[in-house]
Amino acid sequence: MFEAQHIGVQYQRSGKPFAPFSDVSFALEGGRLYNLTGPSGSGKSTLLAACALMLPRSGGSLVLNGVPFDRFHPTEWRRRVCLVPQAAALVPGTVRDNLRFPWTLKVNAGTQPPSDGALEELLALAQLNGVTLDHSAAQLSGGQQARVALLRAFATRPTVMLLDEVEAALDEESAVAVSRLTRALLTGGTTCLRIRHRADDGYACGTFTLADGAISYEAHPATVSNAPVTGEGVAAPAPRERSR
Amino acid sequence: MTGGVVNIGYVELVGASLLMLVAGIVSWRLRLGQTRRIAVSTVRAFVQLLAMGLLLVYLFQYQTWWLVGIVLVGMCIAATQIATGRTKRVMGGLWADTFVSITVSSLVVSFIVVEAVIHADPWYNAMQLVPITGMMLGNTLSASAVATDRLLASMDSRASEIYTMVALGATPREAAFPSIKAAVGAGMTPTLAQLSAAGIVQIPGMMSGQILAGADPIIAAKYQIVVLLMVSAATTLSIVVMCFLAYKKRFSAEGYFLDPALRDDIGSQG
Repeated sequence: MFEAQHIGVQYQRSGKPFAPFSDVSFALEGGRLYNLTGPSGSGKSTLLAACALMLPRSGGSLVLNGVPFDRFHPTEWRRRVCLVPQAAALVPGTVRDNLRFPWTLKVNAGTQPPSDGALEELLALAQLNGVTLDHSAAQLSGGQQARVALLRAFATRPTVMLLDEVEAALDEESAVAVSRLTRALLTGGTTCLRIRHRADDGYACGTFTLADGAISYEAHPATVSNAPVTGEGVAAPAPRERSR
Repeated sequence: MTGGVVNIGYVELVGASLLMLVAGIVSWRLRLGQTRRIAVSTVRAFVQLLAMGLLLVYLFQYQTWWLVGIVLVGMCIAATQIATGRTKRVMGGLWADTFVSITVSSLVVSFIVVEAVIHADPWYNAMQLVPITGMMLGNTLSASAVATDRLLASMDSRASEIYTMVALGATPREAAFPSIKAAVGAGMTPTLAQLSAAGIVQIPGMMSGQILAGADPIIAAKYQIVVLLMVSAATTLSIVVMCFLAYKKRFSAEGYFLDPALRDDIGSQG
């Protein structure tokens, strides 16, 4: 479904050469949730950013549903392969402004923004019951902001979700709610790779470990809570030819 | 023609430069370490302004459209040098952006004013084109330097917001737009403030100069109105052009934001 083939990252970070890995390959299947772990500094966040075309890469290819990344316009790719960074920033305005923000972008011009009802449903699923759509984003707590940023990405229904320690600012109960919500969104062939430091919550079907420039995979024993999600969701629109 | 003009003798001119002794003494007593700079700046102002005067005398005498053109282009290049020298965050490729921004805005507005308002004869008359373009350049160069600084500073302070927006599929322009808006808005403020203060707080430099040179104050006022309006138009134009060119320097070809950590590598290559 989503494949990273021989991805390498190399650039000058603050003037010093930075090359955490040079040949990393992995594949994600639709309807599943994966963990990504590894020692600090091994390049986990870098790998997610590289998959979202947010960093200079030294080589390799990325493939989504059989279509290589260079057939997409980069913004179209990022709309499908959506990275939620560790400290995702909210835009000034209300919670509604933030959740609808993706629909102010050209890349989503062809689709309708979700209704208030759908957004309120999302808020409830992420245990943000006290937060209304008219709340000012700046007045939310750190954990609430993290969840609104996450919901904003979820609302666009990307095909691949790359979550960079989004639960770091959450208490245990909200973290479980977020995991449950993430899994509920894996319909229609969606897949999710998340960096995680907490104890396993049982939702992931396997764990990738990135260490010393190499990646390894270990499948978790199959259970009810990590079984592949099936069922039709919103089908991803066909890729638009790269205009450049 | 030079009815009421009181010429300044060269002895008096040198005498006037003694006024700079005040600045020199202040710098020396307070140990500002600026004494040398004060001397150099004073001499430079002297030499540059007299050279410009001399150049204009010959230009008015032997002017052809291409000679005036060469002088205008030379002025634009010099203005670009000064503007890029002022920007603290120098990057490759910004020189061309600055050149385009201040040259286009200054020349467009100057030509409109010289041809459509003043009706210069011949159309390339250096007596109007050179000083008016010079005034435009002087204003647009500082406006575009300030706007660039403000734009890049705003984008750096919004780095995390821009990163998140790009991750959601924003194009570089969409992600940079709030900063562009802020830089253009802030850049227009001093121009508008100058317009509303004109005539009350200060008699603008150009009008003062014309009155001192013996011109009818009403004619001087009319010229000053035209100059102020065209300065507003030219600075606004240069800020907008500059901002819409410069933001691209902070994004890679793939459209991700070059935050300070990434910049040493790619930013310098433009």
